[in-house]
Amino acid sequence: MKVGEYEYQEGFYYTKEHEWLRIEEDKCRIGLCDYAQKQLHEIVFVDLPKVGAKVTQMQSMGTVESVKAVADVFAPASGEVVETNTKLTNSPELLNSSPFGDGWIAVIKPSSLDQDLKALMDPKAYAEFLKTISEKK
Amino acid sequence: MADKTQVYEYHEKSGHIVEFAGFLMPTWYKGIIPECAAVRNAVGLFDVSHMGRMIVSGKSAEAFLNYLTPNNVAGLKPFQGHYSVMCNEEGGIVDDIIVTRYDQELFMVVFNASNRRKDVTWITENSKRFNIKLDHASDKVAMFAVQGPKARATVQKISKEEVSKIPRFGCGWLTVDEVRCSASGTGYTGEDGLEIYVYDAPVDEPWRAMKVWNAMLEAGREFDIEPCGLGSRDVLRLEAGMCLYGNDIDETTTPLEARIGWVVKLEKGDFLGREALAKQKAEGVKRLRVGMKILDRGIARAGHEILKDGKLIGKVTSGTLSPLLGYSIATGFVPKEYFNEGEKVEIRVRDKTLAAEIVKMPFYDTSKYGWQRKA
Repeated sequence: MKVGEYEYQEGFYYTKEHEWLRIEEDKCRIGLCDYAQKQLHEIVFVDLPKVGAKVTQMQSMGTVESVKAVADVFAPASGEVVETNTKLTNSPELLNSSPFGDGWIAVIKPSSLDQDLKALMDPKAYAEFLKTISEKK
Repeated sequence: MADKTQVYEYHEKSGHIVEFAGFLMPTWYKGIIPECAAVRNAVGLFDVSHMGRMIVSGKSAEAFLNYLTPNNVAGLKPFQGHYSVMCNEEGGIVDDIIVTRYDQELFMVVFNASNRRKDVTWITENSKRFNIKLDHASDKVAMFAVQGPKARATVQKISKEEVSKIPRFGCGWLTVDEVRCSASGTGYTGEDGLEIYVYDAPVDEPWRAMKVWNAMLEAGREFDIEPCGLGSRDVLRLEAGMCLYGNDIDETTTPLEARIGWVVKLEKGDFLGREALAKQKAEGVKRLRVGMKILDRGIARAGHEILKDGKLIGKVTSGTLSPLLGYSIATGFVPKEYFNEGEKVEIRVRDKTLAAEIVKMPFYDTSKYGWQRKA
C-alpha cells in the first residue's frame, strides 16, 4: 500500500522515526520504512547492534549512513537483540531495495511488548502520519 | 525565502532539492554515486550559478586585486586565471576564489555562494583607495561546470569556437546556440573540464541560461552525461583533496596551514595579510591539513576527533565515503609533527574508534583519474 510515493505494509507497527516492527511469535523483527530509505537514498553503511545487546524503546540501536548523511535507527520496542541481518554489512543497499523484506535490520526478544505497542502506530495511523508529513513538504 | 538560480525549474523537476547558502539547489538527481561516476568516467553537468561573481575593471584593477589577494595577479595575461584566496590582516582566509583576467583592465572574481554577502562587502570596503569599478554580476550571469574526461568533447559539439585550446585555468569566448558565453578551464572536481559563464542571463529572465543548460545535456547524451548535484560535487572535491570553505578553511585558518600555500606569493609586494603570512612562514606552521584514509569500516565526518595513541590531536573537517575508492576518506588539521605519509591515527566516530592513516591528496591514483590522467 502507498501514501504518495511511500510504501507501507499491513500487519506492521510503526514509529514516528519511520522504523517498523513485525511480531513473529515471541520475537519482533525490526527495520526501516520506505520513507526513511527514500529520504536517505543510497545507503552505504550500516552499524548493526550486537547480538545480546539490550535495546530500549526509542533509543538508538544502530546507525545507517548514506554518502552524505547519518541516521539513527531507534528501537521500536525494548528487549534483547537475538539476530542481526549480517547481509547488510556487505550489501547495505538492501535497505533501499527491500526495506520491508531483505533489508530488515534485527530481531529482538521483547521485554515489555504490550506496553511498547501503545507507543507505536498501526498501519492506518501510520498512513495518516505519512499523509501529514508529505503534505508539509 | 530562499533564492533560486536561472535553471531552478530543471532542478525542481528532476532533482532532490535542499537549501544551501540561501539557495534552493539540487543535492542529487539520479543519486550521488552515479553522478560521481559520470564525472570520473565521462561527463557531468553542475549548476554553479549560486556562486558569486564580481567583475572588476579599471586602470587600477590589477593593482587592487594584487593587494586584495596573495597570488600574483600581475602575472596573469589576458584569458588567464588562477586559484587564490582573500586573506584578512591575520592571514586567515576570508574566502577561496578564482581570479581571471579577460583584458588588461578587466577581471572576474568568482567566490563561494556561502560567502556572497560577506565577500561583496569585503571587496567593496577594500577597494576604496583604488580607481576601479565593481560590478556584482552574480544574479545576471549564470554559471555551469561541465566536468570529466568527456567535458570538452561535450562543449565542443555545441560551440563554434575551438575549446580544446583553452588551457587549464585559461579562458575564451564561446557562442552556444547564439548565446554569448565564456568558458574557463576550471572546476572543482579534480577532473579536466570547463566552467561556462552565460551572459545576459538574469534570474528573472533565464531563457539564455536554460538554453545553454539544455544544450549541454543534449550534447552530452552520447557520453551518458549526468546532471550533478551538490552531493556529488562535495564528494568529488574531497576525493581531489580540495578545500571546502566553512568546513576545511575559514577566517581562523591560513593558506599555509591548509596546504594551499602556492597561492601565497610573498615576494610580489604588499597585500592583505602579507605580514602575518610572512611571519607564519618564517616561524613555521604549527598545524597542517592532512588527508586520511579510514582503514576500518565506517565513515568519518566533520567534527569527529582525530587521536594519536588515544590523545586528541585534531578534528575532521570533511569526511565521506568515496564511491570511487570504496572506502572512507577525510581531511582535517593535525600538528605538523604528524604530517607523515603512512602515519597511523585514530578517528573517534560516536562510540567507536576507527583506524586511519595519513595519505597524500588527491586520494585517487592521479595516473588513472583527474585532469593529469594518462588517457
